[in-house]
Amino acid sequence: MNYYITYFIAAIGLFSFSAIFALFGVYAERKISAFIQDRLGPTETGKYGTLQTFADILKMLQKELIVPAAADKWLFMLAPAVIFIAVYLGFAALPWAPGLIPSKTNIGLYYIFAIISIETLGILMAGWGSNNKYSILGAMRSAAQIISYEIPAGFAIISVVMIAQTLDLQVISNQQGILAAEKIKFAGFWDVTNIGGLLSWNIFRAPHLLIAFVIYFIASLAESNRAPFDIPEAESELVAGFHTEFTGIRFALVFLAEYSMMFLVSMIAVILFLGAWNTPLPNIGSVKLATWTTGIAWGIFWVVLKTLGLVAVQMWIRWTLPRLRVDQLMNLCWKVLTPLAFACMLISGVWRLWLM
Amino acid sequence: MSMIRLMFYVMSFIAIASALYAALSKNLVRSIFVFFVTLFALAGLYVLALADFVAVTQVVIYVGGILVLILFAFMLSRRETLNVIQQRKSTFINMAKVPALILAALFLVVLVNVILKADADNLPWIKEAIAQKNVITPTSSTIDNIGVNLMTTYLLPFEAISILLLMALVGAAHLSRKEGSA
Repeated sequence: MNYYITYFIAAIGLFSFSAIFALFGVYAERKISAFIQDRLGPTETGKYGTLQTFADILKMLQKELIVPAAADKWLFMLAPAVIFIAVYLGFAALPWAPGLIPSKTNIGLYYIFAIISIETLGILMAGWGSNNKYSILGAMRSAAQIISYEIPAGFAIISVVMIAQTLDLQVISNQQGILAAEKIKFAGFWDVTNIGGLLSWNIFRAPHLLIAFVIYFIASLAESNRAPFDIPEAESELVAGFHTEFTGIRFALVFLAEYSMMFLVSMIAVILFLGAWNTPLPNIGSVKLATWTTGIAWGIFWVVLKTLGLVAVQMWIRWTLPRLRVDQLMNLCWKVLTPLAFACMLISGVWRLWLM
Repeated sequence: MSMIRLMFYVMSFIAIASALYAALSKNLVRSIFVFFVTLFALAGLYVLALADFVAVTQVVIYVGGILVLILFAFMLSRRETLNVIQQRKSTFINMAKVPALILAALFLVVLVNVILKADADNLPWIKEAIAQKNVITPTSSTIDNIGVNLMTTYLLPFEAISILLLMALVGAAHLSRKEGSA
C-alpha cells in the first residue's frame, strides 16, 4: 500500500512544482521582457512586483467561466484539461537526480515523445470546440507546426539515442558523468570516465551532437508554440489563436500547460545533451570537484539550474526575434533542420561504430 | 494480481464503450475525439500485456499522426457539410444499412469462432515458452529484442514497408507540386 501513497505524493509534488514554476515563469517572463524592452515591468504588487502573478491567478480563479453559445460544449470544456494533462504526463518519466525518478521505464524518452504529441489533439479540440474562425485557424497552424517540427526534433533525439544505446532517461543521465558504468571519451579520443564534469556531457562526447542540440532546441521552441514560432497565437492576426474564447481558470490551465511545456522540453534537452543531473565541474587531480558535487540534492540543483537556464534562453529569444511567416517556418523546418538532423543521425552511426 | 485484472477490465470497458460511442454518435468530430479515448485505452491494454513499446508506438502513430490527419480533413471542410450528416433522419433498420449489417455480423461470427477455437490457455508454444522460462518480465527491456528481430528475421517485410512508404512520399510530393513547374 505504501507503494501507492508514494505514487500519489510524487504526482501531487510534480503538479505543484509545475504550478509554482508557471507562477514564477510568468513573473520572470515579464521582468525579462521589460529588461529587454527597457521598461520596468511589474513593480507595484509586492516587493519588485513579485506578487503580481499571484494576484493575477487569484483574479482568474474568481472569473466567470463563459461558454460561447455556438461552441461544442464538451469539447470546449475538456480541451484545456487535455492540453495540460498531456504535458503533465510527460513529467512522469523525467529523472531528477541519481536514483530519483518518478517512473523508471525502459522507454522513457519514447514515452515523452508520444505524450507531447497528444497536446496537438487538445489544441485542435480547443480550436474546433470554440466554433470561431480565429480559434480554428490558430489550432490548425499550431497542429501543422507541431507535426512538422516533430520530425527534426525526433531525428535529433535519435542521434543521441544512437550514441547512448538506450531509451531509458536515467541510463542516459548516468552515462554523462562520473557515475557512468562504461568508458566515456571526450570527443572520441580522451578517456574522461573518472574526470567527469562538463567533459563527459553528450554534446562533448560526440561534438556533432552540439548541432543536434541546436536543432532540438529550435524544434522545441516550435513545439511549445513560443516566439519566433508563435503564429498559432499571433496577436496581430488571430486575436489569441486557439485560446481566444477561454476565460478564468480554463485560460489559466492553457497558460499553465504552455509554461510546463517550456520546462519539459528544456529539461529533455538538458537530459539528452547537457549532462542531465551531472555536475559541470570536473575532477582535477586530487581536487575531486565532480565527486563532491554529485548526489541527490546536488542532482536536483544542477538539473533545475540548467533547465532554468534554457528556459531563460527561450524567453530571451522570444523577446528578441520577430515572428516567422508561415512559409519561412516550413522552409526552415523542411529545408534546413530536417536535412541537418539526418546528417547528425548519419554521423552518430559512424561515430558509434568507429570511435566508441 | 487482482489489481492487474481490475485494470484490465477497466481498460477494456473504456475501450468498448468509447468505440461504441464513436460508431453510434452522429456528431462526427466528437466521435473522432472519443476514438482517441479508445486508442488510449488500447494502449493501456498493451501496457498490461507488457508490450510497452507497442503501446507507445500506438499513441505516436494513431494519436499523433492519423487522428490529427483526420481532424485536419474535417477542419478544412465546411461546418454545414457536417451538419447535413448530423440531421439526416435514419431508422435503425433500413436498406442502406443492410450490407454493413451483413459484414458486421459475419465478422462477429469469425471473431467468436477464433476466440472459441484458439483455446489460448493451452497453446503448445506458450506452454513450451513457460517451461523454458523464455518469457518477458515487467522489468526486462523489449526494445533490444524488437530491434534485433527487425534487422534479422523480419528484414524483408521491414524493407518492403519502407519502400512502400517512400513511394507514398514521392507520390504525395509529386501531387502537391504546382502545375507550371511540373
